[in-house]
Amino acid sequence: MKILRMAWRNLWRNGRRTLVTVGAMTLALWAMVLYTSLMQGMLGSMESTLLDVELGDFQIHADGYRERPSIWERIEDPDAVLEALDKTGLRSTARLLGGALVASGEASTGALLKGLRPDRDAQVSDVYQRLDRGEWLDPADASGVVLGYRLARTLGIDVGDELIALSQATDGSMANDLFRVRGVLQSLSEETDRATVFLVEDQFRSFFALEDGAHQVIVRSGEGQTLDAAGEMAQEAIAASAPEAEVKSWRDLLPGLANMFDSAQAAVQVVAFVVYVVIAIMILNAMLMAVFERIREFGVLKAIGVSPRRVLALILTEGALQAALAIAIGLVASLPTLWFVTTRGIDVGQLGGTAIMGVSMDRIWTGAVSPATIAGPVFILLFIVGLAILFPAFKAARISPIEAIHHQ
Amino acid sequence: MGEGPVISLRDVTKVYRQGSVDIHALRDLSMEVQPGEFTVICGPSGSGKTTMLNLIGALDAATSGSIALEGRELGGLNKKELSELRRDRIGFVFQAYNLMPVLTAYENAEMVLWVQGVDAATRRERVMGLLEQVGLKGLEDRRPSELSGGQQQRVAIARAIASNPAVVLADEPTANVDSETAETLLGLMEELNREQGVTFLFSTHDPQVMERARRVVRLVDGNIASDERR
Repeated sequence: MKILRMAWRNLWRNGRRTLVTVGAMTLALWAMVLYTSLMQGMLGSMESTLLDVELGDFQIHADGYRERPSIWERIEDPDAVLEALDKTGLRSTARLLGGALVASGEASTGALLKGLRPDRDAQVSDVYQRLDRGEWLDPADASGVVLGYRLARTLGIDVGDELIALSQATDGSMANDLFRVRGVLQSLSEETDRATVFLVEDQFRSFFALEDGAHQVIVRSGEGQTLDAAGEMAQEAIAASAPEAEVKSWRDLLPGLANMFDSAQAAVQVVAFVVYVVIAIMILNAMLMAVFERIREFGVLKAIGVSPRRVLALILTEGALQAALAIAIGLVASLPTLWFVTTRGIDVGQLGGTAIMGVSMDRIWTGAVSPATIAGPVFILLFIVGLAILFPAFKAARISPIEAIHHQ
Repeated sequence: MGEGPVISLRDVTKVYRQGSVDIHALRDLSMEVQPGEFTVICGPSGSGKTTMLNLIGALDAATSGSIALEGRELGGLNKKELSELRRDRIGFVFQAYNLMPVLTAYENAEMVLWVQGVDAATRRERVMGLLEQVGLKGLEDRRPSELSGGQQQRVAIARAIASNPAVVLADEPTANVDSETAETLLGLMEELNREQGVTFLFSTHDPQVMERARRVVRLVDGNIASDERR
């Protein structure tokens, strides 16, 4: 109790220095809580875009399709595959994929046409909710298509405009058709934004003269189910209907992105650590000054029999009190900021869409809050403060009383 | 307080090395201090007074010879034991008072008792009595900056004797106060010596202190030139 009292009073012997030190810690904590929240929000949004909209948890392809994508390489009986997956409780949808030249007026470019059944696909993918303008596919509107926003810009078309597609059908004939743009998507990923056209399955089959099969089955794992467990379940389920097909998790399909997600949390901590190191130097400087100014006092304490352990405790308590003040003020200051970034967010749409490793961020960058948002920055701050005051604390504790008493 | 001398120095030598030069602060010095003595160590600057107090106070170690406090050889004690010895058996009064500026007079005076682990009620009883004895009743809650030099030195004396030490070592205790205050402080320490048997060992230049001492040890060049009992 006496140490706590002495430590508290010592802090206010040089109130301005204490306020500057606590202020720096507070600012660093506030910044790191905000940064952690925004990073968690961004990663969460990217993961959601990647899994809920684009990839799903698993994809099933015909053996060899991924190495050499071709309209002829397909899962022979996708309905049997979907039925088998339905029985396991795993949600799934089949998609047909084919390359085509798309054009409007004088502009043309290559694109990937994706055929799907809107009702079934909506159970697996949230892409239908990510429209920037217009409407999603409707089986009643067979010629309606939805395309990525950059593709729309490249072709100079918008909702209601016509789109011509040319390709080679599976029967060897020239496939060509006239479609009408029903909707334009938000920024989702490099591939979708620049070169993807969604259309209903029947229209795709008609265009490519493809009577059966599918190129891709997208699967979502169950609630609380691990990726490995769901993968094994899917593999077993389709063993009879598509024995040659390969089941790949999104981690297998995009290992670079999977690694990025895995290491992102560590990266957040590293940035926090670097910011705090700057603060640590400041704390170290302040505490060293505080110790050097009081060398004689420490000498007297040692002379009258105060143990090094108690002197150490005194300095550590001074550091801990400053950290506690900074944490209290920093967290209170963080509340309105967190409220703002989680409810309103930051509009990054004006930047023209931001993508990391091909996966786009939402137009409104919102933060996320979890226990880690607060605990991470707080624990790192405590660790760094502890590290920074160890040297001055040990210096004070190990001081020779006779040298200290005669210190000028 | 046991039988025999409180302090015993036998052939004590202290050599400081400054660069390549050895400086003999004390040379084969031998001396004893008996319980209840009121002794002054005097001598010119550099004669070894402060060195002698530092060695007796277990703040420094002799180069050779032996020093014993209440028969206990200091040379055989480790740092922790020396620290405990200072805490329990030695009181210090410094020239510059050396009080903790963030603590009140009461808190400064009770510091040693707190370090010893004495319970709060006992501390309070003992320290309030001591502060009254040294004439600081009513000033317990003042910090050193709110006290005069003489009052600060009284707090230091109260702190030094709070744990009933075997000896109080006072290094130039009147050097920073005017002669009237010095007279009052000396009267106080004399009273403590006379009435409570507290053993005092001073180092000083102050003739006022030397006049009141019952034993005056004069050091010259690190050894005893005279040892006069009155």
